[in-house]
Amino acid sequence: MILQQLVNGVALGCTYALIALGYTMVYGIISLINFAHGEIFMAGAFAGLLLVAYGKLNLFLALAGAMLVSVLLGIGVEFVAYRPLRRASRLSALISAIGVSIFLSTLAMLLFGANARGFPEGTFPSRQIDIFGAQISSLQLLIIVTAGVLMLALELVVKKTRIGKAMRAASEDYTAAALMGINVNLVVTFTFALGSALAAAGGVLVGVLFNAVSFNMGLHAGIKAFAAAVLGGIGSIPGAVLGGIVLGVAEISGVALGYSSWRDAIAFAILVLVLLVRPTGLLGKRIDRKV
Amino acid sequence: MTSFIRLCLVLLGICTLAACQKKDDATTAATGGDTVKIAFMGALTGDVAMYGKPTLEGMKMAAEEINAAGGVLGKKIEIIEADNRGDKQEGAALAQKFTSRDRVAAIVGDPTTGIAKVVAPIAQKAGVVMLSAGSTGPGVVEIGEYIFRNTLLDNVAIPALIDYFARDLGFRKVAMITSDNNDYSVGLSRTFSDAAKGRGIQIVADEKVKDGDKDFSAQVTNIKAKNPDVIFFSGYYTEGALIMKEARKQGMKVNMFGGDGISASTFLELGGSAVEGSVAYLGFSPEQTSGETAAFVENFKKRTGQVPEMFGAQGYDAVKLLADAMKRAGSTDPKLFRTALAQTKNFPGVSGTVTIRPNREPVKSPLCLLEVKGGKYVLKARVPVKLD
Repeated sequence: MILQQLVNGVALGCTYALIALGYTMVYGIISLINFAHGEIFMAGAFAGLLLVAYGKLNLFLALAGAMLVSVLLGIGVEFVAYRPLRRASRLSALISAIGVSIFLSTLAMLLFGANARGFPEGTFPSRQIDIFGAQISSLQLLIIVTAGVLMLALELVVKKTRIGKAMRAASEDYTAAALMGINVNLVVTFTFALGSALAAAGGVLVGVLFNAVSFNMGLHAGIKAFAAAVLGGIGSIPGAVLGGIVLGVAEISGVALGYSSWRDAIAFAILVLVLLVRPTGLLGKRIDRKV
Repeated sequence: MTSFIRLCLVLLGICTLAACQKKDDATTAATGGDTVKIAFMGALTGDVAMYGKPTLEGMKMAAEEINAAGGVLGKKIEIIEADNRGDKQEGAALAQKFTSRDRVAAIVGDPTTGIAKVVAPIAQKAGVVMLSAGSTGPGVVEIGEYIFRNTLLDNVAIPALIDYFARDLGFRKVAMITSDNNDYSVGLSRTFSDAAKGRGIQIVADEKVKDGDKDFSAQVTNIKAKNPDVIFFSGYYTEGALIMKEARKQGMKVNMFGGDGISASTFLELGGSAVEGSVAYLGFSPEQTSGETAAFVENFKKRTGQVPEMFGAQGYDAVKLLADAMKRAGSTDPKLFRTALAQTKNFPGVSGTVTIRPNREPVKSPLCLLEVKGGKYVLKARVPVKLD
């Protein structure tokens, strides 16, 4: 049974990891906690749901479609709500992000109603796979694998491509990068596009896993994923995945031991503890300030 | 003029306009005029909308029938509706509006025990009758003498259900799941564990979830290890359906039993094949009916295109009960018809015969068990309830 709970925890943790990757990337580049990221996740889930339920597409095509929708939404949000505030204080951009989050979730509630909706039965015929006596569904396995693959892919993009180099330059010193001739606007747009695509993938997969897509799923999942990103070290891509898994396992352990009422409290208590002991998170880089 | 003074003047202007607006609405009293206002308190959207929406339909149908026959004491019934979205604060705010601005004679609602307990003190203080057509948990009518309900209570139904488990279904081991931020669920679980003592049923697992939770993997893993005969879930339909999906995913074959909390079409939609064989107990079934109930079922079908279930039937009965009490008291003033309502005996409702006991709790028989078969609720059995 312990193995089963461990499997439950890792699977849950990878759902947080998928969202946390987007948070950590955007913060790493433009030092903005994109509070609307959870809503992009939710929008992706709804887009996927509509494509499967009404467009009658299969899950993978719907996933691609959802990612496209989220990319457009993410770029749009950046253009309207963050770009004009790039010269302003970071607080202004943060407040703007909160505003976008409230706007998008309320819009979803008005468009889709407040009920939770499920994907049509048979969207992803999930099989139970037996690993040493523990059951894991093929969908949970897919989520874990996707989180791992995306993490590696992102690391590759950031470390080995030209645009990745531009992203790293912009995250180190935004103004200097611009002076060096890097098109920072393009870098930021690309970052948002990438983050939103990840969020959409997460949204569709999580929506199918829990079979519940609702207007407030972004708010709830977003907060936990944010905690996961900070736990793993905000700005660090492997950190986001590690943070997600640690959080998921801790949460499930708490519930398995009978403290399910405290499940959310456990997640955030761990976050606070880690920040007290190691403020930059598990895998975060130490910040040295040159005086 | 400084911009500060200008701002103050603008705010003052807005407040004055709002105050004028208020005055126009507050002049119609509950007893004057030629309408009697009955308010609907419930959710039309949100996680508990499946209880509120049908209640409102039943209420409107009853009001139309009564008005077509001449109204109550010559006055037409006006149903005031609003959506509390299943939110306690919204429920309280709407209750304030109903009692102070709209000056209603009675409030029908809330179908959930949690919000009923929030609205009741407000109705009691304002001297407005509250009649809940859905709440079944304890601690509601005790709040005051203006508070009533016409439901099949959990503490009446559960002993009968447990006897049925032990005698007819041969269940011995029960895994209980409670949603601990849900008043109805907490009360129902307590009633269940109290009644299970000494009736040959053993509660082998006592797991907690929360309304709004989406992940139940840990709780189901714990329950699976205890090998129960049945899962008893005392919460609402969204969580119930998702719990069953997780149970099937982990290879569990047992079914879920629950109260009227899991009787909603969303339970079937979200649960799909995972909830086949699950059973809900409630105070009404549209099958095998006769007389007035059969006519009600037909008319409801014609009006809404759907077969009525418990909340619709009880909402309908609630309005008819209120009208009956008003007629007997000869007045639409809640201070006067409250007493008549408290003395209701053997009222022939479409959801069952209702008698209000001296402690204002209702007595209804029988208990209906609805099983999910082929994606629909089907009447499995009518279990008689001991009327002490």
